[in-house]
Amino acid sequence: MHRELAIALRARVTWLVAALAALLVGHGFVLAVDLFSSASRSALAGSLQPREMDPLVGVVRPTLGVVDLALVLLGPIVAARVVSVEKERGSFGALCLQVGSTTTVLLRKLLAAACATSLLVLPAAACLVAYRLAGGHVDPIETAVATLGEILHLGVVVAVSIAAAAWTSTFAQAAAVAVVFSLTSWMIDAGEGFAALAWLGRAEAWSVERHVAVFQRGVIGLGPIAWLLVATAAAIALAIVGARIDLLIRRRAVVALSISVIAIALLAAVGQVRRAYDWTEERRASLPPAVVAALRAVPAPIAVEVDLDRDDSRRRQLESDVLAKLLLTRPDADVAFPLDARGDTAAGAHDGGYGRIVIRVGDALRETRSTSRKELVTLVLEAAGASSPDWTMPPYPGFPAVVEGTSRRVVALAAYGFFPLAFLGTGLVVSRRRTGR
Amino acid sequence: MTELAVDALTSRAGGRTIVDRVSFDVAAGEVVAVIGPNGAGKTTLLEGIVGLRPTGGRVRVRGRLLESFADRAASFAFAPDDATLPQEALVATLVDHAGAHRPRRAAITGALHRDLRLDPLLSRSAGVLSRGERKRVALYVALAADRPVVVLDEPFGAFDPLQLREVRDVVRSIALAGAAVLVSIHQLADAERIADRALLLSDGHRIAFGTIDAIRAQAGGSAGSLEDAFIALLSPSGERDAS
Repeated sequence: MHRELAIALRARVTWLVAALAALLVGHGFVLAVDLFSSASRSALAGSLQPREMDPLVGVVRPTLGVVDLALVLLGPIVAARVVSVEKERGSFGALCLQVGSTTTVLLRKLLAAACATSLLVLPAAACLVAYRLAGGHVDPIETAVATLGEILHLGVVVAVSIAAAAWTSTFAQAAAVAVVFSLTSWMIDAGEGFAALAWLGRAEAWSVERHVAVFQRGVIGLGPIAWLLVATAAAIALAIVGARIDLLIRRRAVVALSISVIAIALLAAVGQVRRAYDWTEERRASLPPAVVAALRAVPAPIAVEVDLDRDDSRRRQLESDVLAKLLLTRPDADVAFPLDARGDTAAGAHDGGYGRIVIRVGDALRETRSTSRKELVTLVLEAAGASSPDWTMPPYPGFPAVVEGTSRRVVALAAYGFFPLAFLGTGLVVSRRRTGR
Repeated sequence: MTELAVDALTSRAGGRTIVDRVSFDVAAGEVVAVIGPNGAGKTTLLEGIVGLRPTGGRVRVRGRLLESFADRAASFAFAPDDATLPQEALVATLVDHAGAHRPRRAAITGALHRDLRLDPLLSRSAGVLSRGERKRVALYVALAADRPVVVLDEPFGAFDPLQLREVRDVVRSIALAGAAVLVSIHQLADAERIADRALLLSDGHRIAFGTIDAIRAQAGGSAGSLEDAFIALLSPSGERDAS
């Protein structure tokens, strides 16, 4: 492993990319802290409810969001290089012969690439520590869950980059292929919130970012974990096949096609797994405990049909709040958006039924146009013949934090200066060519 | 005893036949030089034998047909021609890496280490080595691997005459230790000095195979140099022994 780690960690480009990622993450972090501080000022002045001041949403998620960006755009440069330079230098084949197996070589390279790429995640951790030191609140468990999502994302990026490197001849080709893969995921996400892109809705299940986003809510989803692991495993399998330089390209292509078909089937299957666990502080991603107990006690299947377009803010509110919480409680609930299936979205908008939310519990049917969490859940329970439970939530106090003055300057200095320069400095020392004289 | 037997090895790329049904053998303790003009298919032949490119034909080591990459990895130590070392790694890391994958006996690796004069290089990054130094490290990495057949692609190109003599002796010592050595050589004088037998390739075909004297004889003159024989055999009137 020393040889592979040296190629990954003693390369200047690795540390340069890490410094760039630190700058990007630092910028996102400082913007998030400033916005959160501004909102916190209002909360402390009484204009906003302090309990709405959620650092997971206000600081952790935006910071990790930039890590996603860095992983997608810069991760392949670090990860693919570990294999690609061997190919460009003409030493890959001799190395495989020396080690005895292309698979062993590739797996070692994968580990080394994962170590190097994890440098892109470190600045976020450092920023959150800085926020904590500046007086902000960071819950370790929900932050660890959000970070788990980034680690799984890193696994996918590294595996795809290694696969791209295994199938191509040069570093440029490999990095381009890996970035294009990630951008495809972004393209799918671009459909969110646009009725005109409703046709992309069916592809949502294939977006890497969509699966990672679950963790950023402090929720551990078994489906997303399985999906990201299967995607990583599939990319590793493709990499192993791609690296088999002793096989004819036609044979490798047939095996790769078989792996792809199996992977697609597995991804589709695990994508259906909705079981998830709320690890947020005070379980605030869930409905109140009594409501959860009441909903789980409903024996009949629950179905919700929402007649709202993708670009309707009410729908986005429903999806991020009550529907997410309902699915967390009842993963078996069926949620449908019939307008997504229609090509003519304008006709849907003019339909008299637009805005209707139909709730089916067994044979009972209820209908509403309200997007209120309480109203919808009450209708579900009413249709099930259950009484309305206690809606008291465990008290989440909220954590407004105003980072200003010296603290703000120190945080900004760390984010824009210290962390990137620390990476650059470390890189200069580590990558220094030793002349031995 | 035949250590390596190559039978009708063929390699195609881009619809073109690069190596066409080439057969030969190498005995244990023997050095066989692959010679030929630029583009003759020397590198393709060597890469095909060690399993770094798909080929037709059969390759046997100690009578056993090699079918998988693992078989080839267990049979061949290989030093490619233009391969550069990982510039980021220290030479000591590369030497340790070679020692971690079925190395030869300590006495042999120790002698290789000494004869290739690696000690002054150990604390240096591979990226700062001169071409000759890089080649010495690459040779050590290949020769230290305990495999019955050693395949070296143009190992002598980077050395001055003094170093060249030392390196030739090192390659010879591995053959004397029992390995079959197959080496492609551009400089015919080097081939003449080190090889027991030579395989002359042209345009992917075997033109001649045998001792240097036999090749000279095939070229029609036993008194000339290998270079004279080379020119004679590759001239338009030259005779092919396999077609």
